[in-house]
Amino acid sequence: MATLSTPQQAARPDQTLSRNMKLLAHNDLSGFGGMGEGISMQVTANGRRILWLAHESAPKNFTGVDVTDPKNPRMIVQTELPHAKVRSNSLDVVGDILAVAYQTQVPGMKPAGVDLFDVSVPEAPKLISHFDCSGPYSRGVHAVWFVDGKYVHMSSGAPDFQPRNQLDDQFYRILDVSNPSKPVEAGRWWYPGTREGDAEPAPQRLVSKFDTGFRAHNTNVFPERPDRAYIGYIDGGAFVLDISDMSDIKVKSHWNHSPPFNGFIHTLLPLFERNLWVVSDECVQDGGADWPKLVWVVDSRNEANPVPIGTFPAAPYDAFARRGGRFGAHNMHENLPGPASFRSDTIIVGTFFNAGVRVYDTTNPYQVEEIAYYVPGAPPLSPAGAIQLNDVFVDENRIVYTVDRFGGGLYVLEMNI
Amino acid sequence: MATGRDPLAGKLPVTLITGFLGSGKTTLISKLVRHPDMNRVAVVINEIGEIGIDHDLVTMSSENISLLANGCICCTVRTDLQETLRELFNQRRAGLMADFDRVIVETTGMADPAPVVQTMVSDTLLEAQFRLDGVVTLVDAVNGAHLLEHQPEAGKQVALADRILITKGDLASPQQIGDLEATLHAINRQADIRHVLMGEIAPSELTGLGMGSARATDATLRFLGEKLDAAAGEGERYLGARTTRHDPRIGTLSLRFDTPFTWDAFSAALQLLTNLRGPDMLRVKGIVNVEGKPVVVQGVQHIFHPPVTLDRWPSEDRGTRLVFITRGIPAASIRSLFDAVGAIASAD
Repeated sequence: MATLSTPQQAARPDQTLSRNMKLLAHNDLSGFGGMGEGISMQVTANGRRILWLAHESAPKNFTGVDVTDPKNPRMIVQTELPHAKVRSNSLDVVGDILAVAYQTQVPGMKPAGVDLFDVSVPEAPKLISHFDCSGPYSRGVHAVWFVDGKYVHMSSGAPDFQPRNQLDDQFYRILDVSNPSKPVEAGRWWYPGTREGDAEPAPQRLVSKFDTGFRAHNTNVFPERPDRAYIGYIDGGAFVLDISDMSDIKVKSHWNHSPPFNGFIHTLLPLFERNLWVVSDECVQDGGADWPKLVWVVDSRNEANPVPIGTFPAAPYDAFARRGGRFGAHNMHENLPGPASFRSDTIIVGTFFNAGVRVYDTTNPYQVEEIAYYVPGAPPLSPAGAIQLNDVFVDENRIVYTVDRFGGGLYVLEMNI
Repeated sequence: MATGRDPLAGKLPVTLITGFLGSGKTTLISKLVRHPDMNRVAVVINEIGEIGIDHDLVTMSSENISLLANGCICCTVRTDLQETLRELFNQRRAGLMADFDRVIVETTGMADPAPVVQTMVSDTLLEAQFRLDGVVTLVDAVNGAHLLEHQPEAGKQVALADRILITKGDLASPQQIGDLEATLHAINRQADIRHVLMGEIAPSELTGLGMGSARATDATLRFLGEKLDAAAGEGERYLGARTTRHDPRIGTLSLRFDTPFTWDAFSAALQLLTNLRGPDMLRVKGIVNVEGKPVVVQGVQHIFHPPVTLDRWPSEDRGTRLVFITRGIPAASIRSLFDAVGAIASAD
């Protein structure tokens, strides 16, 4: 017995950890399971449920998985990118129209922009149009938000946009796609001082090891408030913009925790009935180097003065910081308005890279509770040596779809909450 | 669309195993921890030496928590159960030990289960993270009847049971077993009685006893003791001429109220009852019509679990149905107390 008495870490990266979540199915997506930040559910005219997934990087463009039976997901289509220096990290589907973002590795390359596809036959997506965002300083589009069939809100560069600092190349743009074969720009906003020629001074940057850019990430607009855009602007903080006149967008709220924190505000998710925001950071460094990357609760009862009132209880640093790869907050299920999307003002589901997918009850916003988690064991040949859950979508039946950033593919989970 | 959280579903279920010395608890636990279905189950035991698991050990994550080859976690009580359950939750959350989905606790031989229930309800961490799934009481077929006659705690262990396991049936006569079953049934009409030999039991027989969700299902009805398939003659089987030798004042009462309660009136009546006769109110559980809504209540003596409002009624029956196991309180007294408090509470 004496030889066994030394306490040791039981949670190894190859072990699955779970609490109140059960794996229903796993699909490695034919070996191309390195997934990005776009998951969207299409319900077809004949009732099939198709999950559209964006890839983190080349060679694949996007993948469609039939999840009509969530215990038996079937990959039905996987498309190719034109070359290896472009990636389609983000997508959204409305009805039978799929919007896909294209971002190039370096400025000036193509394709950099947005494609619209007709997916009425999900097995055979048909290109409707390409909106070009390429330019000498543009890498194209990082993230799209497309939920109403009329506007694509996105984080994008533009041919005519020269940032003062190349890290600030992607800003908030609105595309009017009411005629999907001819999208046109309907509005834009950027952090004042980031564009060459701005009257405002350039923003004070974070220290170099955390300087990731003053640029847009998620650009969300909800049917509850069509006049507001909820923007994560990375090192620039969180913004709420008045977009009632898209040609003259105004700032209504601005909140930033950095410094002293380490930047990279990713998503601003408003909980409308409660006057709260849930704001997520993105962890972008391995091994806990940019810890803590958190999810914040912000009281927004006064739009002009958002006040942070708490953070979600983070997974234990000692158990995860050196488990492999990134450890910290990233994407959340964003209460998308679509017909197959879970919506809740209290239950928030997020991905935390090597700490898996985690479910929180925000009923008491001052003391958020963690109520479930699932941390898959490291996928085979994972370069991080641990799972890196990157994005999550929850359907109206509370089935959780989450994806790994490298290789692991799609995990379908059931919550017991 | 239900967008909220089920107040019960996420909590870790805890089964308490009770039974007097010699009732076969140690034999049952030592078989149980090696059962292949015990993966992701934490078992809290009093003394690890007694069950001899050295050959099955994989790791020890701390001096009192060990992982067995089948995935079962064996945890010895260090100071008390409260500390032990807190430690289990915290170590699991911190990734310091393997995950588990439920807990089975072996109580000491003389233990009154009521204080354990109180601990689980009153400790804020335990109340938030665990729920009592049920009490399983072992009764020895040979000595059980004698103990019930002479040890008041034995009667209480039976009264608080959700399931009763009769052990050592191979050493007793059919007459002995029949008499014991009649006695047990007279004390606690709701607990189902099963037989176990040499501790051979499937873990599933020790679990799923309580209410695991606020969503009304058939399981809710089973929890309430309303058997779905009304077995012919059920309930009459033991009421023959056999004499029962336990304290005859302990017994099960079923009450039904067809007028809905206000929560104030119901809780005031229950409060009054527990204030006056707490020690004799061994067990209460049931479903209450609170202004049309189904609310499940359960308590042990003066300790009540937080009431749970169900998402809907589990059956057509909208009446309040309560089952009491009491010592010497007539059903009529309880009924008139609820009626009187209800009448006063509803007066302008």
